[in-house]
Amino acid sequence: MQQQPVIKNGIFKPYLIFEAWFGSGVRLCGQTILLLFHTIRYILQGKIDWPEVFRQSNMIGVKSFAVVAITALFTGFAMSLQIARELVLFGADTAIGGVVSLALIREIGPITAGVMVAGRVGSAIAAELTTMMITEQIDALKVMRIDPAQYLVVPRYLAGVFMMPVLSIYAMFIGLFAGILIAQSAANLPMATFLDSVKQTILDRDFHVHFIKSFINATIIIMFSCAIGLSTRGGAEDVGIATTRAIVWTMTMIFVFNYIVTSLTYAPR
Amino acid sequence: MDSNQKRKNESSKKPKVQVEDLHKSFNGKQVLKGVSFEVYSGETLAIIGPSGCGKSTILKLLCGLLQPDKGKVEMATDNIGLVFQGSALLNSLTVRQNLSLALRGHKLKRNEETKKIEEKLNLVGLKEQIDSYPSQLSGGQQKRTSFARAIVYDPEIILYDEPTTGLDPVMSTIIEDYMIELESKLHAASIVVTHQLSTWTRTADRAVLLHDGKIVWQGVPQEAMNSSDPFIKQFAHASREGPMEIG
Repeated sequence: MQQQPVIKNGIFKPYLIFEAWFGSGVRLCGQTILLLFHTIRYILQGKIDWPEVFRQSNMIGVKSFAVVAITALFTGFAMSLQIARELVLFGADTAIGGVVSLALIREIGPITAGVMVAGRVGSAIAAELTTMMITEQIDALKVMRIDPAQYLVVPRYLAGVFMMPVLSIYAMFIGLFAGILIAQSAANLPMATFLDSVKQTILDRDFHVHFIKSFINATIIIMFSCAIGLSTRGGAEDVGIATTRAIVWTMTMIFVFNYIVTSLTYAPR
Repeated sequence: MDSNQKRKNESSKKPKVQVEDLHKSFNGKQVLKGVSFEVYSGETLAIIGPSGCGKSTILKLLCGLLQPDKGKVEMATDNIGLVFQGSALLNSLTVRQNLSLALRGHKLKRNEETKKIEEKLNLVGLKEQIDSYPSQLSGGQQKRTSFARAIVYDPEIILYDEPTTGLDPVMSTIIEDYMIELESKLHAASIVVTHQLSTWTRTADRAVLLHDGKIVWQGVPQEAMNSSDPFIKQFAHASREGPMEIG
């Protein structure tokens, strides 16, 4: 990756750093959107390698279950402990289940799964595709008249879109399990009371928003990682740079879009 | 004139590859400054020159991986095979799957595809390694697999990017023998980019020497050693003294 100059005509110009950063960001967003269009076009044309989709589902989804479970469990513990402590103070301990489940289904479930998959899968995809670029494997595909978007991106995107909602729901249930344990141990709240509160609080709309967020997270993780991988050239150092870039961009975009969806669906009117 | 020579002459009337006044620059640095040549069926052209003179760029322009800034590239067919410098085999696929991928767009029946793959692997002596992954092969075997992949769909034009660089002398000779055998069997138009003396003198019918983005000499490889041209004299004798400043 080329270093952008910050000195022009012998004068130090710090705005050139911002200009270079902004320019590369805009370029990456454009590449990501174009790649998404290509990918959707191939999916609509039915050009899908299903065995590869299942292989990628295993890599992206099944192998992420453990790490998502551990993260969701401890996030659930910490969050439930804070909520239980405050609600017990106000004598509203029967509402613990409802508040915990709302936080989990609306924000913590999709965010936890998204961040963990971005770290584990997004970085791996960026590193793999960058290595393929550097070792001319992508050029080899092009010479064989195979579009890398069809061969490499379509299976990863479909696997991400299938597995991300599963991981998010899974993270939510693990978090709920943590909430039940904390409610019993810290507030002496029976499991039945906790679950009653959950049932009364959660609406169908919460599930819909949860799935929308999961779908958007999958799109962000796969598309940004693939676009970064397929646009990087250079040597071994650039694999590391691409990996870091993929993690930073996917995680930032997950938080940005999470807020956008939340503000569009839950903001008071 | 034997029948083989006759067939070669008949199909050689129109060039398979025609390049005119090719220009290409990267980040303001001009790499090619007006390169022209043509290659006919059954002929092998070597593009030689010091490292960084733009040889591999020409191959990438020929197979469409890069677009020229100026000039014209005319290929008589899009049935092209490219042997990459670093083999460029897909690491997640076996040898069989790598070759099968190259046949993907050719819509062959499964038994026809298997027959073709085995035939080409037999040609490069790698039938035993058909189910191995690239990481399980030696450098020479990877290069030969790359060969098999490039020729599995019987291309009419074969491009070789530094096919013997980094290989030991024995393996280089084996690869060169394969190239000579392929030329006689496939009757394709071939372009070899190399700076290895034995490769271009043994495999090519013609050679062009590239320096500073231009062709500075062209001729028959066998005559290069005795040529009085200062450029090819310096390159062929690996001399530090001469008009080519390497830096």
